[in-house]
Amino acid sequence: MLEGAELYFNVDHGYLEGLVRGCKASLLTQQDYINLVQCETLEDLKIHLQTTDYGNFLANHTNPLTVSKIDTEMRKRLCGEFEYFRNHSLEPLSTFLTYMTCSYMIDNVILLMNGALQKKSVKEILGKCHPLGRFTEMEAVNIAETPSDLFNAILIETPLAPFFQDCMSENALDELNIELLRNKLYKSYLEAFYKFCKNHGDVTAEVMCPILEFEADRRAFIITLNSFGTELSKEDRETLYPTFGKLYPEGLRLLAQAEDFDQMKNVADHYGVYKPLLEAVGGSGGKTLEDVFYEREVQMNVLAFNRQFHYGVFYAYVKLKEQEIRNIVWIAECISQRHRTKINSYIPIL
Amino acid sequence: MAALDLRAELDSLVLQLLGDLEELEGKRTVLNARVEEGWLSLAKARYAMGAKSVGPLQYASHMEPQVCLHASEAQEGLQKFKVVRAGVHAPEEVGTREAGLRRRKGPTKTPEPESSEAPQDPLNWFGILVPHSLRQAQASFRDGVLEAKKRKCFLEQVIQCVVSPAAEQEAEDESCLEDWAAAVPAETSAKAI
Repeated sequence: MLEGAELYFNVDHGYLEGLVRGCKASLLTQQDYINLVQCETLEDLKIHLQTTDYGNFLANHTNPLTVSKIDTEMRKRLCGEFEYFRNHSLEPLSTFLTYMTCSYMIDNVILLMNGALQKKSVKEILGKCHPLGRFTEMEAVNIAETPSDLFNAILIETPLAPFFQDCMSENALDELNIELLRNKLYKSYLEAFYKFCKNHGDVTAEVMCPILEFEADRRAFIITLNSFGTELSKEDRETLYPTFGKLYPEGLRLLAQAEDFDQMKNVADHYGVYKPLLEAVGGSGGKTLEDVFYEREVQMNVLAFNRQFHYGVFYAYVKLKEQEIRNIVWIAECISQRHRTKINSYIPIL
Repeated sequence: MAALDLRAELDSLVLQLLGDLEELEGKRTVLNARVEEGWLSLAKARYAMGAKSVGPLQYASHMEPQVCLHASEAQEGLQKFKVVRAGVHAPEEVGTREAGLRRRKGPTKTPEPESSEAPQDPLNWFGILVPHSLRQAQASFRDGVLEAKKRKCFLEQVIQCVVSPAAEQEAEDESCLEDWAAAVPAETSAKAI
């Protein structure tokens, strides 16, 4: 059956797709990274970045230049581009773009709640929140004492409201509960996003569903690995895994019982995609699990650009840009700490 | 003859000092390496968790240390350093290898029951599920603290070892030199005559 994306997509979204492909072409190349790696100071890095598409984005900053400032400015730039896409989008692309911002909103809510626990001022934290996850009720988040409070009083008007079903409880918000809240919210969000893409059908579903399945599986592995040696019980751990993806349901059940990295590796051996990834962990390059998963994510996002007439290009572009920001921040940290042995651990994109 | 012995002893002391300084330098290198590793692991944690998740927003302005270093004056002016882990009652005594008894803080320390509660692990400031690099950073910094303490003890030891005997030697040496200086003109004048 002819789905019709090729016929109708460009009417509403053609301009934005063209724009995002243009933005993608301006991502840093391998040669740019080689130049950046050779910089001796952060000022050198700034000068090299001026020759790329970043231009004079650090021009307003007086000395001393810090890694944190570079990171903030790059994020602002990405946010500016994204807001442009969002302002010019029509449905259903606008809903898709709103779904993309939900993950940053969740991070901001958790940052604000942690800040409240540490008795930090709201202004200080608001300055550090991710610009893509801004919403109007942010300033009121720190007064909530329990998740139900948080939902009823503050977040009920935001796009995060539908994700609160599993998280309602009267427990006070301490570190453990905040972490559980973060992961449960993220799980509900991923499941909702996956359902939206699947229901949309067409090329978007063909491109986005595998990417989101990989995201779900990645979260399951990382949560499992980080929970070894903590007070998180196995039952609690299982409730945090998203209920879709290649690992669902048998793999997730096995992962919930894993007690160390080797047992996790045994679970991954059942899946052709994840076996080589987990085998690459450690080794001579000292790669961590997060590194191998980021590499795989970059591969999948670059492939998304090989198809036309779908919304996945927007998601892929934002994720690739974020990886580029991570790369530049890593190189900047190695330069500022004068520790150049691991400076080549970035992940090249183009 | 006494002068020659003194000089030999001075020489051996100087050699010992230089040897100790070399060892001290080795310890300083280890300390620096640990601290650098710690900072790099923190950068890796930022890479994995996001740049703003590992930073000054996550800790309170007032914090309780997990490990304290207590310095006390022992006999002969030597300093003893004790590592006290908060929440544990027996302080570990590390440092001068004198025959010191391990002091145990027994039940006589109960007047402050609130402070005996172990302070929270700083790893929890960043959430419960922290990446491995953050744990590595904590381990590196912890080793760094122990190295710094060992180095300080060693430094004290070196200085004390050399300064007090050397001061004595110098006083003796000066008197010897004076005698020798007095003796030389007598000899030369004797030869001249």
